[in-house]
Amino acid sequence: MADIKDTKSTTARIQTVLTYAVMIFFTLMAIYPLFWLLMNSFKTTTEFQLNKLGFPKAWTLINYKDAWVRGKFPHLIINSMIYTGVTTVVTLIFSFMAGFAFAKIPHKATKLLFGSFIIGLLLTLQSIMVPLFLLINWTGLYNTRLGVLIPYIGIAMPMGIYLGTDYIKSIPNALIESARLDGASYFRIFISIIVPMAIPVGVTLAILTVTGTWNEFMLINILTSSDALKSLPVGVQKFAGALSSDFGKQFAALVIGLIPMLAFYLAFRKEITKGVAAGAVKG
Amino acid sequence: MSKEVTKKNTLSSAIKEQKRSYWMLVLPAVVIYLSVMAFPTIFSIVLSMTNYNGGKIFGGRVPIEFVGMKWYKLLFVDEYFYLALKNNMWIVLVSVLGQIPLGFFLAYVLYRGLVKKTDFFQTMIYLPCVISTVVIGILWKSFFSPNGAFPELVRLVNPSFEYGVSNHPILPVLFVILWMYTGTYLIIFMANLQKIDSSVIEAARIDGASEIQSLRYIILPALSGVIVVSCILAISGSLKSFDLIYVMTGGGPANQTSVLSVYMFDKAFKGAPNYPLANAISTVMVTISFLLIGLTKWAESKFGGRE
Repeated sequence: MADIKDTKSTTARIQTVLTYAVMIFFTLMAIYPLFWLLMNSFKTTTEFQLNKLGFPKAWTLINYKDAWVRGKFPHLIINSMIYTGVTTVVTLIFSFMAGFAFAKIPHKATKLLFGSFIIGLLLTLQSIMVPLFLLINWTGLYNTRLGVLIPYIGIAMPMGIYLGTDYIKSIPNALIESARLDGASYFRIFISIIVPMAIPVGVTLAILTVTGTWNEFMLINILTSSDALKSLPVGVQKFAGALSSDFGKQFAALVIGLIPMLAFYLAFRKEITKGVAAGAVKG
Repeated sequence: MSKEVTKKNTLSSAIKEQKRSYWMLVLPAVVIYLSVMAFPTIFSIVLSMTNYNGGKIFGGRVPIEFVGMKWYKLLFVDEYFYLALKNNMWIVLVSVLGQIPLGFFLAYVLYRGLVKKTDFFQTMIYLPCVISTVVIGILWKSFFSPNGAFPELVRLVNPSFEYGVSNHPILPVLFVILWMYTGTYLIIFMANLQKIDSSVIEAARIDGASEIQSLRYIILPALSGVIVVSCILAISGSLKSFDLIYVMTGGGPANQTSVLSVYMFDKAFKGAPNYPLANAISTVMVTISFLLIGLTKWAESKFGGRE
């Protein structure tokens, strides 16, 4: 009897060890390349050529100093903050406004309009990059901040409308009706009832919009040409992508490029994974 | 009598106010969305049947002519179009046969509590997904380059390894896609596994069902809808792939790693622009997109919601 119990607990233990081994293997697979990048960003290019896999023998920050100045990173980061900040704020306001109307003001246009936003959730943006580029050209918005911001907001709209409408529907009608009886206008109700109550979904939406906009590369790459308007991903691509042999500087630039999003992720990882699950399965 | 009239008046003015408020609330979102997404979608179909190649639409030097299906005929005999399409298929295959099963497996291990530190594992495995694709693309390009770490790593196992031109340049790209996006499916499966009532599984386990049996008869049926939606996501994800390939290989060497979006980009922005042909490619991609939307709707009705 004791023997059977022993063998059983041994198999169980082997199973646990194996499971851990597999999980640790995949975790290492996920983070090793990033770790490798970080290690090598502290080596000079000469040392990297001799020692590609190990820790740096002489740690140096020279790559970071060079890349930070020559890659014009302060400028790129400020640009990315402007694009991300404006897009997020405007998307939140517009989608709450429309979400309120779709959810609480009966109108026969709602079905068609809301339906068109739902289609937008699934439409791949990549498929319309050329017509969008032509449109921005005709309107004279090529190579302007506005010419980047308007597409960014438009693209973020479907998810905003979807999440916003869904959430605002759950706010009790009685609250709105009693405010209406007291003579409040819809605008007043929006400001003093809807916005404060929709803050939780606002957080999810803001996080989805921030991650999407910060990392966006394709559109801003074709819609702008001047250095002054570049965002962080475009700047990293132009600077680090061109350094095909100066690995030290390239790695430092890549690390600088990934730090903002990494910090954002580690700070909001619960909300991010929640938002991704909500967004992905619905979209 | 007069009282009734005023009542009617206030009622109709209330309806008017309601309508006006509705449009004021809805219009900013609708206008910006339609002009950025709906208008280009429709316009690319129109432009793909003309010879419009940049410049003013009206009163340009070359008047716009309707050319019918000319560009589509050209497109459907271009071997590079099929090469790009084939690579899109490879990406779908990697997602369906790689990311989804792997993501499910990892989610399952974490959900069943077979390891501790669930939060740590999930955070780390999802991490590559949040980093800019541009950074990821350049990182892996350097990693796989002849001067990078990959040849060195292989030599640890096989010292006689010589770096040569690969016969399958798409393989490293597919590997990076698998590496990068598996975490997304982990998150999706995790969120949906957590919706299953765990007491059902516990009861089955107490009744003597094995881990495999409870997986087969309780968990997989409950997730069938999510699995179908994940497969659809995999197809639309393959249409979306642009950044990584653009940065990592630029579609090269000799278009061997191109996908539809990169192929379209090349036609429009590399060398002499051919916008009508690019618009024809765009229309093909939009059509696939719409087929997928239909497929999603069908899956939704068949498997009862996407939750």
